[in-house]
Amino acid sequence: MSHYSSRRNFLRVSAAGSAVVTFGGLAPSALQAAAEQSKSDRILIVIELQGGNDGLNTVIPVGDEIYRRLRPKLAIARNATLEIADGLAFHSSLRGFADLLEAGRLAIIQGVGYPDPNRSHFESMDIWHTCQRSTENRTDGWLGRMLEQTANGNGGDPTALHLGHDKQPFALMSRDVRVPSIRSLEQFRLQGTDDSQFRQAVEELTAARRGNGNDLLNFVQSSTSSAIAASERLSSSVKSYASSVTYPKNGLGEQLQTVAKLISSGLSTSVYYVTLNGFDTHSQQPDAHAGLLRQLGDSVKALLDDMDHLKHSDRVAVMCFSEFGRRVEENASEGTDHGTAGPMFIAGPAVKPGLIGKLPSLNNLQDGDLRHHTDFRQVYATVIEDWFKCEAEPILLGKYNPVDVFRV
Amino acid sequence: MEFMIDPEWAWAEFHPDSDTPWNFRTAAHLFRRAGFGATQSELSAAVSKSPSAVVDELLTGSEPDSFRAEMKSLSNAAIATGNVQQLSAWWAYRMLSTPMQLLEKTTLFWHGHFATSAEKVTDGHLMLTQNELLRSFAFGDFSKLLLEISRDPAMLVYLDSATNRKSHPNENYAREIMELFCLGEGNYTETDIRELARCFTGWEIRREEFRFNRYQHDSGTKTIFNKTGDFGGEEGVQIVIEQQSAPEFIASKLVRFFVMDEPQPTAELIAPLVKQLRESGMMIQPVLRRILTSNLFYSPFSAGRKVRSPVELAIGLLRCLEGTTNTFDLAAAMLTLGQGLLYPPSVKGWDGGRTWINSSTLLGRSNLVRTLITNDKTRFGKTTLQKYLATQKATNPRAIIDYFEMVLFAVPIPDAAKERVEALMKTHGDNGLTEGLHALCTIPEFQLG
Repeated sequence: MSHYSSRRNFLRVSAAGSAVVTFGGLAPSALQAAAEQSKSDRILIVIELQGGNDGLNTVIPVGDEIYRRLRPKLAIARNATLEIADGLAFHSSLRGFADLLEAGRLAIIQGVGYPDPNRSHFESMDIWHTCQRSTENRTDGWLGRMLEQTANGNGGDPTALHLGHDKQPFALMSRDVRVPSIRSLEQFRLQGTDDSQFRQAVEELTAARRGNGNDLLNFVQSSTSSAIAASERLSSSVKSYASSVTYPKNGLGEQLQTVAKLISSGLSTSVYYVTLNGFDTHSQQPDAHAGLLRQLGDSVKALLDDMDHLKHSDRVAVMCFSEFGRRVEENASEGTDHGTAGPMFIAGPAVKPGLIGKLPSLNNLQDGDLRHHTDFRQVYATVIEDWFKCEAEPILLGKYNPVDVFRV
Repeated sequence: MEFMIDPEWAWAEFHPDSDTPWNFRTAAHLFRRAGFGATQSELSAAVSKSPSAVVDELLTGSEPDSFRAEMKSLSNAAIATGNVQQLSAWWAYRMLSTPMQLLEKTTLFWHGHFATSAEKVTDGHLMLTQNELLRSFAFGDFSKLLLEISRDPAMLVYLDSATNRKSHPNENYAREIMELFCLGEGNYTETDIRELARCFTGWEIRREEFRFNRYQHDSGTKTIFNKTGDFGGEEGVQIVIEQQSAPEFIASKLVRFFVMDEPQPTAELIAPLVKQLRESGMMIQPVLRRILTSNLFYSPFSAGRKVRSPVELAIGLLRCLEGTTNTFDLAAAMLTLGQGLLYPPSVKGWDGGRTWINSSTLLGRSNLVRTLITNDKTRFGKTTLQKYLATQKATNPRAIIDYFEMVLFAVPIPDAAKERVEALMKTHGDNGLTEGLHALCTIPEFQLG
């Protein structure tokens, strides 16, 4: 019972930062209502770096001889990097991250992975999304399991939103909660609904319960209802956004600006999910990787600046991950093959800035790949417990010691 | 959710009976799966024959020479524009106009299987060459197709394998041939991948053609799946296809594409198909015939148990109503809905099933229907939709709803929904047809195929 109620309420964080969570019963209704109305509800923005980010050329061991020996073409020269500490430096395209670090707003968690690493993009991504291996019956994702507990009582706003044209991330899947995916706010509208009779007919037609045994039909029905509800909510809310921040003119920049619009419109949505694709750099890595890192750093920096202007920054944490890092030794195509451990990043005013954990030794590789020392679920655990004040174990399907990332 | 189906019964030949008669509904199911859909007159012709006779026509007919010649010249014109999206439009046009629907549907299956995106390849000529390869082997010998695709320039460009040097072999193609093209995740080791990558060294693309560069080939000894020798790429592919998991992987994918999205077929269920594939030397046509004439295919486990893909939805709507439209716009719309022809999202292709569905795609699907039925570039039977429906004897709201149900719906439309749509049509005068059909094609039932 205590699990149940704490999970139900895990996102109800009061202005002071303490969770409105009770054990063994529901929270007092007045407090709960106040928490629900609060503008200080915390938000997580997940940025998935798709394809396997080369962590070694992101947070670079500039002085490491093994690094230079194994990467005769791809090693980044020290004078083309931005120093962090401990012999590590950012790729020069990560100016945005370097600025955030200097402002005390970026935590770099090194050596993150999981045991018995899988080097398939799709399988490894599914492991990160579900916290389960392919031998288990995977039906939902870690964020979906979190959202299941908050589906009610949020005023009809989506509990989470996925932005982008990809299929919906497995991490957001759950049995009962349908997370809307939005390509762009302009397209997120049903044509013909200016006509109220048409709109009413469509709402009734989709809302009618289907008493049949077809799971697929029931899934489509609940998805259609939530799509129509979400489109109406969003089209009426995103009107007042104005910003003095200039976002990079690229996919991630535009998506994060859409996130800023949605946050500033007063939606109570607590999780936003965006994707940056292209990290599978098997050949001709240098320019492609530099462009992606610039897009990442500049876009996250712009978002957090915008949140400052809009007075929402205390609510926001941004988490970046990739399904794996890349092989330490470069291949013959000026690229790198699939590897294992890599760094994760959490950005926002609430983090303890700087490096967390050491770079795995290049002297002690396993099959040419880095050995992880921090499980990705330890990072999820800090997000769930320290940021959202909820119990992580039932969501992560196991007990993981949280990494110490958040100040509050 | 496991359920038990007797595999013997599942793949035995379907003989219509009073529970599952051979009628417009079952014939429409066959055409939706073995193609994109059928018109009233095609359904009428089909029910006068046996199901297996219709399947044989779908599998063994051939495209008239004049049709092929027209497609060839249109595809060349599309390439000449330098815009690969024109080739995507060309393929949509081919799907709309081909007399051999199953060949086109199976080519789409292989495109999703050997997914290669023009986003990266960018060369229309290479994309067309691959598309023609997939079509020519669609019903044929999978082993040969696998070898051909391993030397296909578009594929090798897509998977960064246009150069393969012996000093540092690139593992990308070796990994994907095992994981995604032939065996499935979990049926190989990392060592197998590294060893197979060595076999492919020296394979490269020069001037848009495959070439073997013996100076870059690692001629040393490799060990893959416990076989040891100084294998080249051809032998490497052969060793992969001989694995036990190869026919299992292909059979399972065929069942999910042609029969049902879920649940995932069990090993027991597909065992008869696996055996047939293995014994026929991985020939696709016989196993496809077996699937499409089976008890399982015509059973409630299959009918309405797939989510329409964007291509099935858009091409199906048009084909069932003898529609033509601007296929450049159509191809762009299908890309927006998640299924761009020649633009799969990754080397894994399209996951299909529930992943087609989310808020954006549902709104987009609904909007596309409205665009297609109101757009002045769309014609139905060379005329307007209203006049076309009149030629089919659908002249009042209820008859039009019933007509749509017959040609386009995989599951029955609830009576209450029919009444609601009928009322909407009647209150909207001249716009009644548009408003009503748009609402009808927004209900959840329309999303199933």
